[in-house]
Amino acid sequence: MTAVRQEPDPPPRDDLAQRFRAGDETALREAYDRYGRAVLHLATSTLANRSDAEDVTQATFVAAWLGRETFDPAKGSLIGWLLGIGRRKVIDRLRASARETRVVETVRQLPDPVATGPDPDTVVDRLVVADELARLPDDQRRMLELAFYDDLTHQQISTVTGVPLGTVKSHIRRGMASLKRRWEVDGAAPGPRPAGLSGTR
Amino acid sequence: MQHLDHDRLVFLALGESEADHGETDHLGACATCRGELENLQHVAGLGAATQTLRDLPDPPEHIWQGIDAEINAAEELPSLTGARRQRSAPTEPATDSPAAPPPADDSRRRRRWPRWATTVVTATAAAALGVVGTLAVLDVGRREPDPAPQQIVLASAPLTAYGQTPKDANGDARVFVDGRLHLHVANLPDVPGYYEVWLINPRNMEMFSVGVLRDRSGDALLPLPPNVDLEAYSVVDVSAEQYDNKPAHSGDSLLRGTLTG
Repeated sequence: MTAVRQEPDPPPRDDLAQRFRAGDETALREAYDRYGRAVLHLATSTLANRSDAEDVTQATFVAAWLGRETFDPAKGSLIGWLLGIGRRKVIDRLRASARETRVVETVRQLPDPVATGPDPDTVVDRLVVADELARLPDDQRRMLELAFYDDLTHQQISTVTGVPLGTVKSHIRRGMASLKRRWEVDGAAPGPRPAGLSGTR
Repeated sequence: MQHLDHDRLVFLALGESEADHGETDHLGACATCRGELENLQHVAGLGAATQTLRDLPDPPEHIWQGIDAEINAAEELPSLTGARRQRSAPTEPATDSPAAPPPADDSRRRRRWPRWATTVVTATAAAALGVVGTLAVLDVGRREPDPAPQQIVLASAPLTAYGQTPKDANGDARVFVDGRLHLHVANLPDVPGYYEVWLINPRNMEMFSVGVLRDRSGDALLPLPPNVDLEAYSVVDVSAEQYDNKPAHSGDSLLRGTLTG
């Protein structure tokens, strides 16, 4: 455990989303270089078949490019939008294979052989939060990583980093607020979560 | 009602401390604080799960090639529902029609060349040289020295500067009945590598290499495959190539022309 990490610089906040929407062809390749990993991860972690996952990744970028005019940068990030398209394609693919499986099962009378991977919504949410985490100011990101990954308390983070406790608290509070806001905007079920989500039924 | 302090909610969400008795009572009664805590807990859980997402592998390049190919195919169609193969071939592929290969300065489209260039020729024997149209007798007096006088010309094409190539570059291509392509070029721009000659099917941009040229001006006789379909592979293209061990078309076309019988 160490507070010093060799991290790549956080992705810059730039005009990629605008250029993508405007049809700048270089923006497509840039978007792929930047977010292709996330889309492929969404597909590979939710679909059993690697070739299906690659197909979904390809289809996601094609659909995004051809439908780029429907992308509204004001409503969310480019990666959130791409993951939303990928999520729908993953779900379509899961449904199709579930149908096939049912047919096979009917014939063979076998128990459900489909390994249930992670829920696509959860994978999208994680990817969106990971993207936001990478974009946070260095201090906020570093302290949240210590809290998330190393399970350190505020006090331990303060000790490890030499940053005063009050400052640690403030970094973590701001960082958490950014992650939460981003999750609300770009998560698989966008929109602010209602208060008392599961409380008042 | 006094809500819980936000810092305190973050503490609780990160599992740093347990809610005390008063806080538990409040959370039981206050949907706002309870909802906020649940959301923060959820985000903290997502955050903890991001550790494995930090070094995701790059997607394989063939996915990008698939994207590029699909998009090119879609964008070259008048509508996304039509089939690409059903489009009629343009009569002059060297113009700016959608089917024509774009100028070499179009960075994205340039990348599709290597894919096509790897496509092997699928011409059938039925499309042999003999079907290419009326025979014409070579005009031997037109250019001296002619490397193959007395040859019967099956098809010919004037070659003109393509894209950014200086306009004084030009040439002529003639297909002889013996299955050789006679190429005359003049004023090709200086390039660091060499020149390569291609036959291209303008309908689908499949192509194959016919041979190379070394000089900026001059003549060459290049043998064609015996079963080449010149009605399909009707465009003669001269490209600038580097010594880079990449057999595919560089995307940098210098001259173009369409063979007619």
